[in-house]
Amino acid sequence: MKSNRRIFLKFLLLGGFLFGFQTNLYAQKIRVITTIPDLADITKQIGKELVDVESLTRGVEFMHAVPVKPSFVPKLNRANILVEMGLDLEISWLPALLEVANNSKILPGQLGNIDCSVGISVLEVPRTVDRSEGDVHPKGNPHYNLDPGSGKFIARNIADGLSRNYPQHKGTFEKNLSAYFAELDKAIARWQGMAAPLKGVKIVTYHVEWSYFANRFGLQQVGMIELKPGIEPTPNHLVALAQKMQQEKAQLIIYGAQSDRFPRQLASQTGASVVRLQSIAGGLPETDTYLKFIDYNVRSLLSALKKD
Amino acid sequence: MHLSTMKLKFWRILSPSLSIIFFPAMGQSQDVVIDLLKKQMVEMHETMKKMAARIDQLEKEKAATGVRVDQVEKSVRATQSAPSALNPAIGMAIDANAEHRAKTGGEFNFRAAEIGISASIDPYARGYAYFTGSNEGVDVEEAAMVTTALPWNLQARGGRFFADFGRLAKFHPHEYAFVNTPLSLERMVGGESKADGVEVNYLFPTPFFLRATLGGYNMIGAENDRLDNTKSRAWSRFTYLGRLNTYFDLTDNQSIELGSSLAFTPSVRLDDATGGSRSLSGVDLTYRFQPLGSTLYQGLTWGSELFVNSERRPLEVEVPSNDDPSILETQTVGKRRLSVGGYSYAEVKLNRNWSTGFLFDYAPSIDNPAKKTLGYSPYLTWNLSEFNRLRFQYSYLDDKVRTDKNERGNQFFLQWTTVLGSHTHGFRTR
Repeated sequence: MKSNRRIFLKFLLLGGFLFGFQTNLYAQKIRVITTIPDLADITKQIGKELVDVESLTRGVEFMHAVPVKPSFVPKLNRANILVEMGLDLEISWLPALLEVANNSKILPGQLGNIDCSVGISVLEVPRTVDRSEGDVHPKGNPHYNLDPGSGKFIARNIADGLSRNYPQHKGTFEKNLSAYFAELDKAIARWQGMAAPLKGVKIVTYHVEWSYFANRFGLQQVGMIELKPGIEPTPNHLVALAQKMQQEKAQLIIYGAQSDRFPRQLASQTGASVVRLQSIAGGLPETDTYLKFIDYNVRSLLSALKKD
Repeated sequence: MHLSTMKLKFWRILSPSLSIIFFPAMGQSQDVVIDLLKKQMVEMHETMKKMAARIDQLEKEKAATGVRVDQVEKSVRATQSAPSALNPAIGMAIDANAEHRAKTGGEFNFRAAEIGISASIDPYARGYAYFTGSNEGVDVEEAAMVTTALPWNLQARGGRFFADFGRLAKFHPHEYAFVNTPLSLERMVGGESKADGVEVNYLFPTPFFLRATLGGYNMIGAENDRLDNTKSRAWSRFTYLGRLNTYFDLTDNQSIELGSSLAFTPSVRLDDATGGSRSLSGVDLTYRFQPLGSTLYQGLTWGSELFVNSERRPLEVEVPSNDDPSILETQTVGKRRLSVGGYSYAEVKLNRNWSTGFLFDYAPSIDNPAKKTLGYSPYLTWNLSEFNRLRFQYSYLDDKVRTDKNERGNQFFLQWTTVLGSHTHGFRTR
């Protein structure tokens, strides 16, 4: 009887130790979940050793077709902070996961939810929201991460969000933010210089995701492969687009996570160059940070232009 | 170039010129001075041109930003001040078939128009409802409240909803990968797991997804006619449910989901007023291949469910009459029946718009489990867009149950399903 009691006490102690250890382990770092690797990288730059960051997507996904994986649920359940792009970029998968994650702290509008789109000059806000215009985003084009200028807004929003939740570390976040701003400014100046030959180059894109990038580097969009956002092209649309490309002398066809079938078909008809860019960071080993991801896109466009 | 830098450059150029004008006795010849002045004037002109261009550009950018901000502010203000700003999200699904069944003939079958609405209720709960109009009238399919802020990883749901039994029973029929509800699901669960009651989910604090559900309901099943949903009864005649659901990523692109459910009713009364328990259990297994880089174009889903139903079912037997034992009279008695059935389907995405699949259905009669219907259904789906779908399905039903001609022989279906407005059934139909 006595030994039973001893064993019970030992178990109790072990349980207490494990619980304490677990609590202590979790208390060490701020658990941040981000929707895309871009946000994870920037959060790491701002939070440094104070944060433990994980992105739900890997960077190879097409953002409007991310699978709703139940394996994301425990991660969201335990997160202190959720960092998302907003503007409905994650609408097709994130709300379904938050529905069952049982974590009210990170729901939209709550303190633990950081929406990185705050302050962005949103492009292509539709005048009328109607599905006859395809899979439109009522709040405007959500692919603002492709403009490195928006990277500063993202970083600012993340720093502000982290400071709101952990005011005791505000000084550290602000210091790290300043350092990241300096790094980003330097990179932007470098890209602006590198991208000078891209100014005025006429492009055709598969989806509407490249507008922010095009604006930053002076590319001129003259057409889109999709009939409407999210709607595959009809043969007539492709014929008309090829004619337009020839009239406008479009030099580049840009696509992302879509099939290369239509871009290649148009390229063979018009002589334009096809280039696959990354719409979020992390999809390739050489795009594992936000800066490297923008750099990759600029370099890819320049080398495609040289081939043209 | 920054404006202040330009100003500096301007004065740097101007100052030597002025010194030359005001201090001519520097020993330089007049021609040299004029040349120098000319050169500096050209430089000044260039600098001023650049400054003017930069000012123009900045003004343009300012104007463009102003217009964008104005547009966004106006639209936000319009939304905020509209009386409908707090209205819930509303959507509708329309599902219609053209059908031909070898044994009964053709039909335009208006299957359903389903209106769905959903919104947050307050910081503690959200609500949703689905109203379905069909040839059978208008019905409240679901209208439920769900908590959003319960502690200890708990979530409660109450009202009318699809109970957490199995996988496909929680889908509205227009969301199936194929046209019809599998007969096994129809006969054993009663179609959708529609139930009035309450259930509580618990998300285990494990690194992998593991969720448990406990529920209590009047009964489960849209087609369940074992009792009157509107009458009070003993607590032993309610249905109680337990479910465990887990999920594993096998690789980045492959996953497996496993569920096990038990719905237990302590007492189900037949016409002869004799009692007896009913237990309906199920195991569901879903394998998915979703290549992350090409989910738009490729994918495979293999979903299977097995159901086991055990309950007393009415059986007509001939027994000697009480008045005259030599005369046999027909009497209905209850006999416990154990039936095992299920379905399995696989669907392959061929490209962004097309997918194809095959459904195998094994549906025993719950009154006489030795008799069953086997169904074989290949189908082809054309997604014109995310919200507009055409599907062709051929079915061959090898029917030994013989209670309904519609469940027999060769059948052809052309289904057209569309979604208007906001429409999502969330996590359960992923």
